Amino acid sequence: MKENISKSILRVDSRKKINGEAKYISDWKFDNVLYAKTIRSTVAKAKILSITLPEIPAGYYIVDKNEVPGINRMQTVVSDHPVFAENDVQYIGQPILLVVGPDREIIYSIVAKIEIQYKEQEALFTLEEAEKKSTVFTDYHYRKGEPETVFQQSGQLIEDEFTTGYQEHVYLEPQGIAAEFKEDTLFVYGSMQCPFYVKNALLDTMDLPEDKIRVVQTITGGAFGGKEEFPSLTACHVAIAAHKTRHPIMMIYDRSEDILCSTKRHPSKIRYKVAFDKNNQVLALDVDVLLNAGAYNGLSPAVLQRAIFAAGGVYNIPHINVRGRNFMTNAVPSGAYRGFGAPQTIFGIEMLFYNIAVKLGVDPLEYKMRHLLKKNDPTSTGGQIREEVKLPEIIKKVIEKSDYYNKLKTNKKYQGIGISLFLHGCGFTGKGESVINGKITLEKNKDIVTLKVSSVEMGQGAETALRKIVAQTLKIPIENVIYGEVDTGLVPDSGPTVASRTTMIVGGLLRETAMEMKTRWNETEQFEISKRYEHPKYLHWDDDNFSGDAYPVYSWGANVAEVEIDPVSYEITIKNIEAVYDVGVPIDNRALKGQMQGGIAQGIGWATIEVMESENGKLKQSNLTDYKVPTSMDIPEIHCSFVLNPYEFGPFGAKCAGELPSVGVPPAVAEAVANALNKTINHLPITPEKLMEIDNGN
Amino acid sequence: MVEAFRPQNLIEALYILSENECTIIAGGTDLMVQRARGFALKPDFVFPLLFIEHLSELKQIYNNSNEIHIGACVILTDIMQNEIIPEIFKEMIGKMASPPTRNMATIGGNLCNASPAGDTLPYLYAVNAKAILQNANGVRTVPIEEFITGVKKTCLQKNEILTDIIIPDKKFDVNIYKRLGQRKGMSLTKVSLLGLADISKNRIRDIRIALGSIAPTIVRSSDIERKMINKSLDEIKQISYEISNQYDKLIKPIDDARSTAKYRKKVSLNLIKHFLENL
Ligand SMILES: Cc1cc2nc3c(=O)[nH]c(=O)nc-3n(C[C@H](O)[C@H](O)[C@H](O)COP(=O)(O)OP(=O)(O)OC[C@H]3O[C@@H](n4cnc5c(N)ncnc54)[C@H](O)[C@@H]3O)c2cc1C
Repeated sequence: MKENISKSILRVDSRKKINGEAKYISDWKFDNVLYAKTIRSTVAKAKILSITLPEIPAGYYIVDKNEVPGINRMQTVVSDHPVFAENDVQYIGQPILLVVGPDREIIYSIVAKIEIQYKEQEALFTLEEAEKKSTVFTDYHYRKGEPETVFQQSGQLIEDEFTTGYQEHVYLEPQGIAAEFKEDTLFVYGSMQCPFYVKNALLDTMDLPEDKIRVVQTITGGAFGGKEEFPSLTACHVAIAAHKTRHPIMMIYDRSEDILCSTKRHPSKIRYKVAFDKNNQVLALDVDVLLNAGAYNGLSPAVLQRAIFAAGGVYNIPHINVRGRNFMTNAVPSGAYRGFGAPQTIFGIEMLFYNIAVKLGVDPLEYKMRHLLKKNDPTSTGGQIREEVKLPEIIKKVIEKSDYYNKLKTNKKYQGIGISLFLHGCGFTGKGESVINGKITLEKNKDIVTLKVSSVEMGQGAETALRKIVAQTLKIPIENVIYGEVDTGLVPDSGPTVASRTTMIVGGLLRETAMEMKTRWNETEQFEISKRYEHPKYLHWDDDNFSGDAYPVYSWGANVAEVEIDPVSYEITIKNIEAVYDVGVPIDNRALKGQMQGGIAQGIGWATIEVMESENGKLKQSNLTDYKVPTSMDIPEIHCSFVLNPYEFGPFGAKCAGELPSVGVPPAVAEAVANALNKTINHLPITPEKLMEIDNGN
Repeated sequence: MVEAFRPQNLIEALYILSENECTIIAGGTDLMVQRARGFALKPDFVFPLLFIEHLSELKQIYNNSNEIHIGACVILTDIMQNEIIPEIFKEMIGKMASPPTRNMATIGGNLCNASPAGDTLPYLYAVNAKAILQNANGVRTVPIEEFITGVKKTCLQKNEILTDIIIPDKKFDVNIYKRLGQRKGMSLTKVSLLGLADISKNRIRDIRIALGSIAPTIVRSSDIERKMINKSLDEIKQISYEISNQYDKLIKPIDDARSTAKYRKKVSLNLIKHFLENL
């Protein structure tokens, strides 16, 4: 009998994580280890006038910019973040130096005596100020059709604006990293998503030959994008300290340090201008996306690209003009977070369509459905939708299961229902996948097969999914498939664990390779096969003009949210979430439902609970007493199902899935709140405090 | 240097306290958070610790001539599970923290911490609870509103231990508790209202309103409450707006990381009105 890939199996990593066997980096022990503590800027923008150090006892060290063997910049998309501050600081929390030594108490007493004199300078804090002063890091632009002409000729225009706030990842395991030299080879161990990003950053900073650096991922307790580029910085810190002291170095953040200085989701502002045809159909769209990148640009251009390519949502809009800008402010750098810019623009476009429909007095869902993309339609960047778009089937299912129309009619005041339609581009944006050119290896040794990839298990289930793909392809038990240790010295670079690409791209490569291995199974007892990713030939992308296929394929979905608002306290209660997705074919139903539920919970958090405000560059919510993420009390039962739509290049037909739920749910919740109060919701998070003002204001 | 004392009984604890300046630690759920210094560092204690959570004298719940005595070191979980405790108080405690924290946190610690957001406090204020304080020389009884003297301030002397909290053994006809946090579980209160009332023949015989997290201490006004006694429920409905307005000047909330003063004020007044209109 043929095994069904979607049939759930026990997650291979659950046991050791539940019984405590799993060793996270803070559980590791090194002989003669020294601990590192970071001294950070306490001001938002300043010249450093002087650093006065106390007497440093024997065995303790100060590590700063002067100890960097190579380039004092963290390598990423834009390598602008100094590994250690030079003559100036640009945000509160910016690393200046490390105090390193064997006893944490003594380190702290040294830390307490270090005096830094600053000459403070005028800083910029908000997107508004940044726009006024044009502190633009990146300015992107693309268009389709003739938007200028349409806008010139069009009589009726609608303008709208949406804003969203910060979001902190709150992975359970804070950032942690260690480094040691074994003879002349540098080993870095830590909680991370992208071992080769870390390795590449170390190549720049440490000035060591390629074969003298090994990066080993340790069991990672959640990441969500927060361990995409950030560990490159901490890895450089501990590596430089290990280089100077020739001792193993460990650096584990506690939660407040982690919140203070690690990356967050970009706060955004999105402006729309809409022109209509004579049937009130959206004819042209002008979108202006502003992201608050913080003090350094870093990874933000990549986030901005995904944000602007999602600007049109699931709609076929004939004329579209999109501008996207990353702004510099004196705030902690923003970075990758599940969804990577798309949650902001999908929230914007969904609420825009809702607001238009309400204004026109038509049913929002019907209005949205009048614009849906279909197979062979052009994407907003002039690529092509190549797969069958199953949104009509998805929508039918979600409205039936949630009883959407009946509830829309019978809901009382303060009860609301909302629906969101969304998509997510699978894998890296644009040329990304060809640039990475991910490579994997399958190694056979008698009846045991080892898969070698740089993709990491970080709680999302990658280990189960990838082993399952190989096992089912080879028709061997999953116990006979070993997930090779993720060590850059032992595995090829199959790319970073980001962009919902692991199952589809890396899993796809593994499947292809396993199929070849199966035909050659009896050749010899021992052999290995390696393969590199090839982008499907029919895809075209012009990186200079942002035109063509921004993604090889898309995953799709629709969510219905039901809410109730307490008129006395404005407290929001989410009563139900109904979610239907097309992710191609689920590799393991239960694991995928877990991903969807977790992603929805994070989306609900961003939409309703997670307030992070910066006051003069200082975060007001700087610990988990003040920064709240949803608990099981805040999340209703989530009903989740899948519509099958196999993708020919995905393993067993799988597409991307990890980010989709976080992208999709916020506008459904926002619509439901708007519906309950009969008001417009143009800002996330929607807190009771904000609702009170909205309800009294208009 | 001695860093901690673990006495065998209350007398010994009081004796230690008369000889040494100590930091009393019960469940430690406030203290360990307040004194934390960073990953893998010892907490910041200046004085030796005096452990009291294990003392059986401080862990009793019993009733005695219309009063219920709750030992200062009774953990919240045990209060929730005790039969003689009024249901509304159990409900309130059930909304505090989370099960693991409730298994460590004591009622005495909540009282002595004297936070405006302390969630046992609205009840203790509403029922005129008394605090029993003991030192090596004797015992004194202090009404709750005199025990708490300000934000994080109490009238406890350095040599005293809070031993008991006394509440009346009384149930009310109407018991309403509303608590708002940033999320529905495991969050500190940003506004809370406890409303208690006795009603007979459609008239108010007794009424108590206590508000949490909206001023330096719990807000309760016997003056305003008195004006409502013997009024019919209809009358109360008619003057609910007026009454809620009388609380306006007593409510002195702040803007902080968890909410805004504006919200706290408005919602407190809404909650009072809502309580009065739904008696
Ligand atoms: C995760 C978490 C969630 C929480 N949620 C809530 C919540 O929802 N609502 C809420 O109100 N609180 C909450 N708290 C705070 C705390 O749990 C409570 O205030 C608890 O009741 C404190 O009791 P404790 O025994 O732990 O006090 P401790 O921390 O041991 O002591 C607190 C203070 O009281 C003093 N003290 C304690 N007992 C005595 C005594 N018998 N005599 C004299 N002095 C004494 C101590 O010296 C200290 O100053 C939370 C705490 C945590 C960690």
